[in-house]
Amino acid sequence: MIGPSRVAELETTGAAIDTAEGRPAQSYWNESWQRLRTNPIGMIAGALILIFAVIAILAPVFSAVLTHFQPQSVDLSATFRPPGGAHLLGTDELGRDTLTRLIWGGRVTLGIAFLTVGMALTVGTAFGMAAGYYGGWIDDILMRLVDTVLAIPAIFLFILMSILIHPTPITLAAIIASVGWGSVARLVRGEVLSVKQRDFIMATRSIGARDFRLMFRHLLPNVLPVLIVAASLGVGQIILIEAALDFLGLGIQPPTPSWGNMLTNAESYFFHSVYLVYFPGVMIFVTVLASNVFGNAIRDAFDPRLKT
Amino acid sequence: MTQPLLEVKDLHTVFKTKEGLVKAVDGVSFELNPGETLGIVGESGCGKSVTALSIMRLQRPGKIVSGQVIFKGQDLTKNTDDEMREIRGKEIAMIFQDPMTSLNPVYRTGWQVAEPLRLHHGWDAKKSLTSAINMLGRVGIPSAAERARDYPHQFSGGMRQRVMIAMGLTTTPAVLIADEPTTALDVTIQAQILDLLRHVNREFGTATMLITHNLGVVAGMCQRTIVMYAGRIVESGPTADVFAHPKHPYTWSLLRSIPRLDADRHEPLKAIEGLPPSLVDLPSGCAFHPRCAFRVERCSRDVPQLMQVGETQRSACWVTQAGGELKGA
Amino acid sequence: MLAKYIARRFLASVVVVLGVTAITLALMKTTSGSYVPGIDLNPALRPDDIARLRADLGLDRPGWQWYATWIWGVLHGDFGHSMIDGSTVMSHIGDRLPNTIELTATAIVIGVLIAIPVGIIGALRHGTKTDHTMTVVSVAGFAVPQFWMGLILILVFSVTLEQHGLPWLPSSGAYSAVNGGDLIDRIEHLILPATVLSFFYISTWSRFIRSSMLEVLSQDYIRTARAKGMSERRVVYLHGLRNALIPLITLIGLELPGLVSGGLVVEVVFGWPGIGKLAFERALQYDYTTVMGVTFFATLLVIAGNLLADVLYGVLDPRIRYGS
Repeated sequence: MIGPSRVAELETTGAAIDTAEGRPAQSYWNESWQRLRTNPIGMIAGALILIFAVIAILAPVFSAVLTHFQPQSVDLSATFRPPGGAHLLGTDELGRDTLTRLIWGGRVTLGIAFLTVGMALTVGTAFGMAAGYYGGWIDDILMRLVDTVLAIPAIFLFILMSILIHPTPITLAAIIASVGWGSVARLVRGEVLSVKQRDFIMATRSIGARDFRLMFRHLLPNVLPVLIVAASLGVGQIILIEAALDFLGLGIQPPTPSWGNMLTNAESYFFHSVYLVYFPGVMIFVTVLASNVFGNAIRDAFDPRLKT
Repeated sequence: MTQPLLEVKDLHTVFKTKEGLVKAVDGVSFELNPGETLGIVGESGCGKSVTALSIMRLQRPGKIVSGQVIFKGQDLTKNTDDEMREIRGKEIAMIFQDPMTSLNPVYRTGWQVAEPLRLHHGWDAKKSLTSAINMLGRVGIPSAAERARDYPHQFSGGMRQRVMIAMGLTTTPAVLIADEPTTALDVTIQAQILDLLRHVNREFGTATMLITHNLGVVAGMCQRTIVMYAGRIVESGPTADVFAHPKHPYTWSLLRSIPRLDADRHEPLKAIEGLPPSLVDLPSGCAFHPRCAFRVERCSRDVPQLMQVGETQRSACWVTQAGGELKGA
Repeated sequence: MLAKYIARRFLASVVVVLGVTAITLALMKTTSGSYVPGIDLNPALRPDDIARLRADLGLDRPGWQWYATWIWGVLHGDFGHSMIDGSTVMSHIGDRLPNTIELTATAIVIGVLIAIPVGIIGALRHGTKTDHTMTVVSVAGFAVPQFWMGLILILVFSVTLEQHGLPWLPSSGAYSAVNGGDLIDRIEHLILPATVLSFFYISTWSRFIRSSMLEVLSQDYIRTARAKGMSERRVVYLHGLRNALIPLITLIGLELPGLVSGGLVVEVVFGWPGIGKLAFERALQYDYTTVMGVTFFATLLVIAGNLLADVLYGVLDPRIRYGS
């Protein structure tokens, strides 16, 4: 879910979190929030994501109140309408309302993106923590597994898995997350290794704390900032991957609208309506841009040294 | 009286920061005579390094706002960038504090040492490398011909500083500016590097400007000493006199803060109270007055200028200029 | 030390190759069971024909047996025959690979040639309007879906130009089927897909060079170089750039697997007969052997890319020594 360049950027993030108590102090979170708040572009991007999320959640309300169309209602008497009139953004080859389909498509796309991030983070954190904490042969085995997952050309995995599993939003998220967790695991492992060096872990262990308590009460809070940054930078990447899979016919299947599969159709109707190509692409672009900008803002907020 | 080799006149260098304008060098004047070793001492942030960088016009992002740097009859502050490049590394060489980071990690040391020769004398690779190896040998690098093929990371800290010195000397410059050349090194290595600088000064006749916060280094090396505080020179004079009879309370406190073999054993060392001032928001009057044990009412009001005090020294202090003595406390 | 390093590296690579191919096969087995490719296209096949085909293709055997046979073949340089058309997998890869290399190499070269100067300018003018503009463009470039950019380019440079009777660019294939194949024809076909692919590289790499260069330019040895009287040009290009390029090399090395997977979307959009498109089409048709062959090959590329990056790193950065 995160390309090599992104991982390189992220790997240094954790270094900033260094407090005497061994876990990020309250003031660290406050300061980060302060820095984020004073970054206007980042805040605008964050707000945009929030607005899109709200629209996605309220999609039924919007299609009832605003557009007065259902995403799959066909009207063969009104195909390839240009934007304007009753159809604000026009219609497609079956006379379906583009705006309505965009709203419902956003529901699918954003839903999958957040679900994927959640899954990848959960699995990746578990693997990374176990590998980093236990070390030795457990680390070796887990990390070879991660190497293997990361070495599979991701797109093959997607192709094969989406043939295997009929893609619904939930399975599609699982498919994308099945690759994305690898880089998260690496990230978390690195962070755990550096945290483990610090004295307080030894101290906690010497008073007889159990492994799980140690991991969740002491290691996790230290890894959290890195995870938040990884998550916020990951959303945009996942939206791009998901859209590409939809476009290739491996993702969400028509007639359920998604931004990606709306473009698959549009490709066939260049000569009838160019708007069908523009709108879904613009939506993907704007959403990915906003989440990348917001992700960068969060990274800068957590580690001002990385700001460029 | 010999003609000075380098003359700095009323130099002002400022930095723009978010907090405000920092006057890093605030009206500094001094001269460097041929063949002499001049010490510039002061705490970090007092402007001594920026002074040196300003002479080389390498003070970026800082800006020289006024003053002159006269070298061989020309004012360096008025030189074009091209003319400046002809001076740097050829007429005036500079070595820096941290030899670990001051050499380019991806080029062989011989190549780096030879670079000024290729650049300034137009020598070919072979001739310049031979000369570089010769110079590496002269600064005390054993089997220099082989070591010239090594990369900087293969050298120890002291050896790297020797490489830096060799790099500065290849073109036999008239002036060598050494900015804290020993600070990053172990004590025993420090002594070796200082020996080398002394040797270089004698053998090549290179006038040396030695910038340091370490009074011991100055005492053993320099004929004359300049003491800086908050961007200004507060005292100057022959090293022996400055150390024996400091004419500025800052120098006086500095000397009391270091252990001396010949001092009365029962007299405790005294740290200077307070912190160096923020250069954005300097105290009124004499910048040192909040920390000064001798301050009088005038000190917080008027800025003292550097004036002759005693036979050989100059000091910027209202107390000593009025004939007061620095004793006790 | 070096021998030990190479041995360990090699062993790890073998594990990864075995892992990837095994996972691929397991997925395909689970997906299609003993499905014979193409039978649904031919209603005339009788059950015993299908059984015979199944036995011929080895589909009646358990997965691990099939895998062992396949590995045995690979060790002897035999990747088997395609299940769809019977020609060797190697010949398929041999047909498609040059096209993929043509596209990707062009994109990488264009990417490097544009990204490096753009990154340097950004670093040297950092904080200026030029820098901000380039930042915005590159952050935006990161967010453009490749397939959508492809569609838009086709729309503008093929469809619209053609509609207005202007000279237009071909939107599909690597060369014209009729009277095509000469250099000009191939370049015309290359322009649009290479633009999309290199656009992505440019936006990634230029950001990378910019920050890498900014960091390098603040180093002490840059000050030393200036103090030696070097021209700004020499300081930036000789002393700065070489240091700033080191991390980029790693990034490009890691991009090598993109030969197969990264270009896939672009290949599909532009109907480019490359190896990614081959894998995509054959996976949809359950052509085990071809997919296994390409997967094997792609995994080798990942490993080779990592290795290449490490070796180049060692060449460019004398501080790196292997074995530690």
